[in-house]
Amino acid sequence: MATEIQEIDLKTDEMIINMGPQHPATHGVLRLLLTLDGETVKHVEPVLGHLHRAQEWQGQNRTWFQYQALIDRVDYLSGMFTSWAMARSCEQIDGTVVPPRAEYLRVMVSEMNRITSHLLWLGTYLIDLGAMFGFPFYPFREREKLFDLFEEIAGQRMMFNYIRIGGVLRDPKPEWFDKLKRFLDEFPDRIDEYETIVTQNPIFLKRTKGVGILTQAVAKDYGVTGPCIRSSGIPLDLRRTKPYSVYPELKFDVITFDKEGDTWDRYMARILEMRQSIEIIRQCIDKLPSGDIMGKKQMAGMRIKAGEGFAAVESPRGILGCYVISGGGEKALRFRWRNPSFCNLSVLHELLKGCPLSDIMAIFGSIDVILPDVDR
Amino acid sequence: MANLISRAFGGLNEVRRGLATVFKHTFREPITKNYPDEMPDLAPHFRGRLALTVNPETGDHLCISCKQCERVCPDKCIEITSHKSPETNKLELIDFKIDHGLCMFCGLCTEVCPTLCIINTNDFEMADYSRESLIYDLKKLTLSQDESAFYFDRKEMPLPKPKPAKPAPAAAGAAPAAVAAKPAAVPSVAAPGADAKPETEAPEAKAPADSKTVEVKKPEVKAEVKEESKPEAKPEAKAETKTDEPKADEPKADEPKA
Amino acid sequence: MFSNGDEIFKISRLTIVWLAGIFTIVWMVCWALGIALPMLLTQQLGDKAALTNEILRAATPVIAILVFIPINAMFMVLIERRALALWTVRKGPNRVGPDGNFQTAADAVKLLLKEDITPTGADAVMHTFAPILFFAPSVFGAVPLLAAVTNNHPLFRVLNLPTGIFFVLAAGALPVVALVMAGWASNNKYSLVGGLRSAAQAISYEIPLVLSLITVCLMAGTLDLVKITEQQAGGILNWNLLGGGALTGLNNALAGGGAKALATSYFMGPISYVCAGLLVISLIISFWLYLTGACAEINRIPFDLPEAESELVSGYNTEYSGMKFAIFFLAEFTNLFIVSSITTVMFLGGGDNPIPPYILNNIPGIPQMVAAIRDSYFCSTLHIINPETFFATLWVIAKVYGLVIFAVLIRGTLPRFRIDQLMAFGWKRLIPLSLIVFIIVVFAREFVICHG
Ligand code: SF4
Ligand code: SF4
Repeated sequence: MATEIQEIDLKTDEMIINMGPQHPATHGVLRLLLTLDGETVKHVEPVLGHLHRAQEWQGQNRTWFQYQALIDRVDYLSGMFTSWAMARSCEQIDGTVVPPRAEYLRVMVSEMNRITSHLLWLGTYLIDLGAMFGFPFYPFREREKLFDLFEEIAGQRMMFNYIRIGGVLRDPKPEWFDKLKRFLDEFPDRIDEYETIVTQNPIFLKRTKGVGILTQAVAKDYGVTGPCIRSSGIPLDLRRTKPYSVYPELKFDVITFDKEGDTWDRYMARILEMRQSIEIIRQCIDKLPSGDIMGKKQMAGMRIKAGEGFAAVESPRGILGCYVISGGGEKALRFRWRNPSFCNLSVLHELLKGCPLSDIMAIFGSIDVILPDVDR
Repeated sequence: MANLISRAFGGLNEVRRGLATVFKHTFREPITKNYPDEMPDLAPHFRGRLALTVNPETGDHLCISCKQCERVCPDKCIEITSHKSPETNKLELIDFKIDHGLCMFCGLCTEVCPTLCIINTNDFEMADYSRESLIYDLKKLTLSQDESAFYFDRKEMPLPKPKPAKPAPAAAGAAPAAVAAKPAAVPSVAAPGADAKPETEAPEAKAPADSKTVEVKKPEVKAEVKEESKPEAKPEAKAETKTDEPKADEPKADEPKA
Repeated sequence: MFSNGDEIFKISRLTIVWLAGIFTIVWMVCWALGIALPMLLTQQLGDKAALTNEILRAATPVIAILVFIPINAMFMVLIERRALALWTVRKGPNRVGPDGNFQTAADAVKLLLKEDITPTGADAVMHTFAPILFFAPSVFGAVPLLAAVTNNHPLFRVLNLPTGIFFVLAAGALPVVALVMAGWASNNKYSLVGGLRSAAQAISYEIPLVLSLITVCLMAGTLDLVKITEQQAGGILNWNLLGGGALTGLNNALAGGGAKALATSYFMGPISYVCAGLLVISLIISFWLYLTGACAEINRIPFDLPEAESELVSGYNTEYSGMKFAIFFLAEFTNLFIVSSITTVMFLGGGDNPIPPYILNNIPGIPQMVAAIRDSYFCSTLHIINPETFFATLWVIAKVYGLVIFAVLIRGTLPRFRIDQLMAFGWKRLIPLSLIVFIIVVFAREFVICHG
């Protein structure tokens, strides 16, 4: 006696939720306009601009010297890279030769900065996944140690203003290198510890494996860069594909995964990158030549020759480019940033379609967007 | 089935390892510092509150009112009032205001200062109840002799030489004159109204740049300060035109970094 | 040895002082109300006081719980913060009072003084009643536990129920309604999602939770909490955690019964031994199932989906502030405490000493000490201390707070499930597992004489 199971047509409405800009998990001031069906995301629309500070316009209204101090704020978690991108594009126009010691120092500090950026990402990502109380503090502990080192050479913990057009600001003292070496010796153990807690944790695996798969095609279409695209299997790493500075002299491999990248791969890519950065810094300390650290006089009325230049660096979030037109005066005629976060964010709606509400933060967190970098 | 069980046990084991790792932290030293009780050990180059130094040995105010810092500040938060003394033909500082509510502690002003006068101190506790009280005036900014000595020592800055070393800014065309002016340089630094005892001057300093008040006051101040500066005939060219000045000061701009 | 000795010392001192304080206060209140006052009244009034005494005796446990719960919740918040600080290499509260020990008291005062906001468009009545309905069950649900955790003290025996665990579970199921109410009445989409999540979660996790407890009741043959604890007396091998009495034979053999005791308990020879082993494994799984289900039931990490901060802002209590939020907060910690108490009673032998008496009584000094306490003036005349209750309570405190600390450790380590994974985990893993365990226990217990 087969009873017919009748499909009842329940009328369900879609719910529109406004996630952010004051939501505790949107990493700043992103606003996501979510269309939910139950707990499934139907559509997502990021609303940008809450943190727009006219960084590019400011570049055209400040002298080169002044603007150097401001650009750390473009991406405040990796200020070294924004400084570096600008310095490189200006040096390109000017033809400044950066002394080798300065180049090595630049690589060192920016790899350190890459570590701090990834550490912050790691902590906040675990918060996104709900490990609110224990683990997230550990990465921050290591980050503090690096910040102490930054404070010594640059004067501040996040707004470094250390990499300048033509070189770097200050030559670190020998003790600084000792401290750095000590940190590098103990840091791998700490990463091991993080991995013990997180990497194979069954709940973490469940939350991240197979979630938010970024296919190569989509990644290419949207111009995704950085660990996100590398974890999707495309070995795009400016440090190798279009080497700059002293990277050709250093030994390291581009980290890629064979499969299409899911959230776990992006996590793993960053963990591996941190380990890689340690090695790079070690090599830099060994190879560090002596000599000058500044190839161009730093002064208030500094001028850059007329011309235009574009330089990109591989920031923790992807390719960070800076396009400058100089009229030969004290100020730039035009500044333009190519921000990795902006491009990476654009892929969000592809990743989020059809995923449950809980995964929004798991996926959004995994592409490591930082809002000042998006809005500038 | 066996697969399922082994996976379950594997998962539980991973959780156990995680819990054990977290538990291990019981026996680690906390990284928290008891901040208000225990001050953090900041790096010497830490960019904190801005301050004006005095010569640690003589107590003369180091600012020469060159306004380099005012010009370089990206936030335009420095406001310097000075006037040219009719007697010595030198710029004299009347008031120096920094709006710490606007300042972003980029430290550019300290990099360009030719006399190492404006510095970033290691002080960062500046919370206040109103925005107005974040605007520091000359009196609040000037450090005492001891503090100046402390910072000169800590930041490893070369001590200001009692006599020459820092030529008074000369006009672009007057190179020989600048050389001649060297001996006079430091007194000119010391001369401005605000010297080692800013307290006595606070009322005047706050008053608008009324040259009269200042002139009335100046003789008394000078009486306290050593008299050497008076007789020197200044090369008249305190570079006043804005366009020229950056060039004129180029060598000095680097000096702090040397 | 420890570079962190200072902090460990602080947390231990805090625990001991606070706990001693709490339990002394609560016990003194109980004693005054339930023992001293009736004694006085009887002396003065004779038989006329009988009715009053009855009422007083019945009221005492309830008053004890009402006094106990707020202080205890405060303490638990503090201990949680301190423990988390320890595990996150921080210092924890250290500003208010000595070593920051009054931090939660200050927080409580702050919460009580805060403005009580009812959002626009909210259903004011439901919005107000939700926290109350959330809190009330944890109060009256705790009452039957009292007799069990105090080793059947005469003062608390009154409110013991023959169907104790049933009542506790029924009370524990009620707060879900409150969460849905809170979510619905807040007029906030996040709250609504949180409330509905909590309903779904509680319903799915109640099943493995109850099944695991039924397994224990099956082994014990009773629903009476006091009887369940009494059965487990006599050392760790008798506890329900280890086979629900399946190892009692072994225990008896060790106690001096020798091979004869083994033969009595495991009367079927090898089959019995295998079944005893199965029972031990099943009960350990049951214990784990219970902990998991309980974590989900009280919305602790990794099952804190109803208030998932990174997804739902704060879930069902997003729109609550002040007093109402304080009640939610209080109830959450009370629930944690009650769940730990149930675990203690059902699995960890209640107030039983893990060291069996045949070892304990041979340690020089201990029997004498117990006897001395029993004969003392306090005990025999004033009935302030009852040695059975006293030691039992100490063990209960140790076990319960041990479990609480374990929950904190879990909170410090694990990330959160996703809602569909949570459901899948509950329905596809835990429920079948608990059914399998249940069936194994049903058959295996036939071949072993449990609890004797
Ligand atoms: S530190 Fe920077 S912002 Fe502050 S006064 Fe100096 S130049 Fe201006
Ligand atoms: S740059 Fe130095 S000397 Fe010149 S006005 Fe500023 S503080 Fe005074």
